[in-house]
Amino acid sequence: MKDTRNSPEIEIAGLSKVFGAGASAFTALSDIDLTIAQGEFFTLLGPSGCGKTTLLRVIAGFEQPSDGSLRINAQEVAGKGPNARPVNTVFQNYALFPHMSVAQNIGFGLKMLGRARSEIDATVDEMLALVQMAHLADRKPAEISGGQQQRVALARALAPRPRVLLLDEPLSALDLKLRKGMQSELKRLQGETGITFVFVTHDQEEALTMSDRIAVMSEGRILQTGTPHEIYHRPRERFVADFIGDTNFLEVEVAEADGAAAQVKLPGGALHSARLPGGLRPGAGARVTVVIRPEQAQLVAPGQGVLAATVEKSVFFGTDTHVHLHLEGGAPFILRRQNTGAMPEPDPGSAVGLALAEGALQVVGD
Amino acid sequence: MAEATGRYAPADRTTVAKPRRRARNFDVRHLPGFGAVAIFTFFMLYAPILILVVFSFNAAPSQAQWGGFSLQWYEAAFNNRQVREVSIRSLWLALVASGIATTVATLAALGTTRVRRFPGQTMIYALINQPLMVPEIVTGVALLIFFAAIKVQTGYTGMGYLVAAHTAFCIPFAYLPIRARLETMDITLERAAADLYASPFQAFRHVTLPLLVPGIVAGFMLGFVISLDAVVITEFVKSAGQDTLPTYMLGQLRRNITPEMNAIATLFLALSLCIVTAFFLLTRKRG
Ligand SMILES: Nc1ncnc2c1ncn2[C@@H]1O[C@H](COP(=O)(O)OP(=O)(O)O)[C@@H](O)[C@H]1O
Ligand SMILES: [Mg+2]
Repeated sequence: MKDTRNSPEIEIAGLSKVFGAGASAFTALSDIDLTIAQGEFFTLLGPSGCGKTTLLRVIAGFEQPSDGSLRINAQEVAGKGPNARPVNTVFQNYALFPHMSVAQNIGFGLKMLGRARSEIDATVDEMLALVQMAHLADRKPAEISGGQQQRVALARALAPRPRVLLLDEPLSALDLKLRKGMQSELKRLQGETGITFVFVTHDQEEALTMSDRIAVMSEGRILQTGTPHEIYHRPRERFVADFIGDTNFLEVEVAEADGAAAQVKLPGGALHSARLPGGLRPGAGARVTVVIRPEQAQLVAPGQGVLAATVEKSVFFGTDTHVHLHLEGGAPFILRRQNTGAMPEPDPGSAVGLALAEGALQVVGD
Repeated sequence: MAEATGRYAPADRTTVAKPRRRARNFDVRHLPGFGAVAIFTFFMLYAPILILVVFSFNAAPSQAQWGGFSLQWYEAAFNNRQVREVSIRSLWLALVASGIATTVATLAALGTTRVRRFPGQTMIYALINQPLMVPEIVTGVALLIFFAAIKVQTGYTGMGYLVAAHTAFCIPFAYLPIRARLETMDITLERAAADLYASPFQAFRHVTLPLLVPGIVAGFMLGFVISLDAVVITEFVKSAGQDTLPTYMLGQLRRNITPEMNAIATLFLALSLCIVTAFFLLTRKRG
């Protein structure tokens, strides 16, 4: 939504990155096309080794792309060094200068830009207040905790007021409680500064809760870009659906296809409508994979609903319960229901029916 | 030391036999004779030095018979004009040579660690460390012949030869700690500096160099001690009247051995110990 309103901040087209040459050449990024809007909280999400850090490093200027173009604020920056780009990075290991105090660390960027002493001091004070570190301004990085180092790294990267802030898994080293706190802190800082954030994580929940938009990466490619809602409910590929959240996959036959929707034949023979991702137009009779999220199915009486199943076990999670089932035909299926207290837990071995929400089925490519 | 090692001497074998058989890992302390070898080694390392130091305080002019405590040999050494002269020469030679060597070594270390790997890098590494690998006597003879040729051509007979020889000799000793420090330094710190708009020179000036200082100081001190100590090379390269403290001592020992030599050697030892201790403190604390 945001990207139609705002002008683009980062435009990447046909970008690739190959490490090494000859037989040992390794393609870390291939054919990346990406537009990130001004002021957007944009997340690169993918498993370890998929190229997230490499893409961030190409944007920062630590690596030069092998091919393609990279524009920041409508300026071609390929070939420019990191010190010539209006971009700052929060490093995965923070990379605070150990011989400088917290305040000196935060002021470093402005000092390098040749700003006046008074301006540097004022900005450093402002940043210290922003990340609530004013009382530790004179400490060395080794004398503060990991979470505090994290805040200093953030303040240091924000102090020169870059157009874009790059964050490489900034929260992965923090424990759960601190991480939750920093997540909302980051959102707040982004809101207050209006700076475009490009955030890297391999944590799908973090990506879903924080991002305006997400790009899901795998093996050096971007598989899908979209809002958290789109990525979760309208995955285009099996990998995306599998990586984001719990998912049930069903092999079904297309009964009838029409534009973006199809009627598919479920195990047991019932017909149900399914959405088709753009570009995928299977004909009638084709076998396709559909995705059903665990919370989009409800338990109903045996013989009712669109699927028949047998209960294997129930796993209690506090707010909800996961019911493990076997569909007619043997396929496993997980159903999630909220523990409102109204429904009794189904007995293992009992036969049940499953009703599906309208729009629960999404066809995915492989 | 002797007491600590004695506990693992063969006499104790029966009492530790059982756990030893269960724990299969090799422990050198359980080898028969370990205690004896250790004591012998420490004896050979430190007894001569201890005797040298003790006899520097001997009132009698003997290295064998104790004639009571006296500081007369220290007094004699301090009043010896020649000793003062060669000591000062040794110190400034060591200062200048290790100063130049440290500068060169710093650049060499940056050039071999902060660049993309290039063909011939190992070769360059070997070239820099030549003095560690070529026998000193060979270097000495080579320098003698080389410098003799230059002397004939130019007529120059100053300290330049010694400075050049000591500098070349000190470079690898200065290079190794600096390189070690650079290699363990987090490269993302320099990236972070570049990311925060520092030019390559500013990144070096504000981040790399300050973090490198302990390595540079360590390299300088190591070079300093090595230069102070260099006998073979100095002996070959020096012209008349260019004795350093070690070559002067060598010359004196050929004639008559008085405890004055012990006193000088003891002072020399104290200075070296101070520098080496400072070196270890520096490299340990920040390394
Ligand atoms: N400098 C490099 N030289 C060679 N291969 C590299 C280099 N940097 C990264 N790679 C490779 O590129 C792939 C992607 O790495 P990276 O971008 O760090 O992944 P991520 O951050 O998603 O975990 C990995 O297989 C990694 O080994
Ligand atoms: Mg990474």
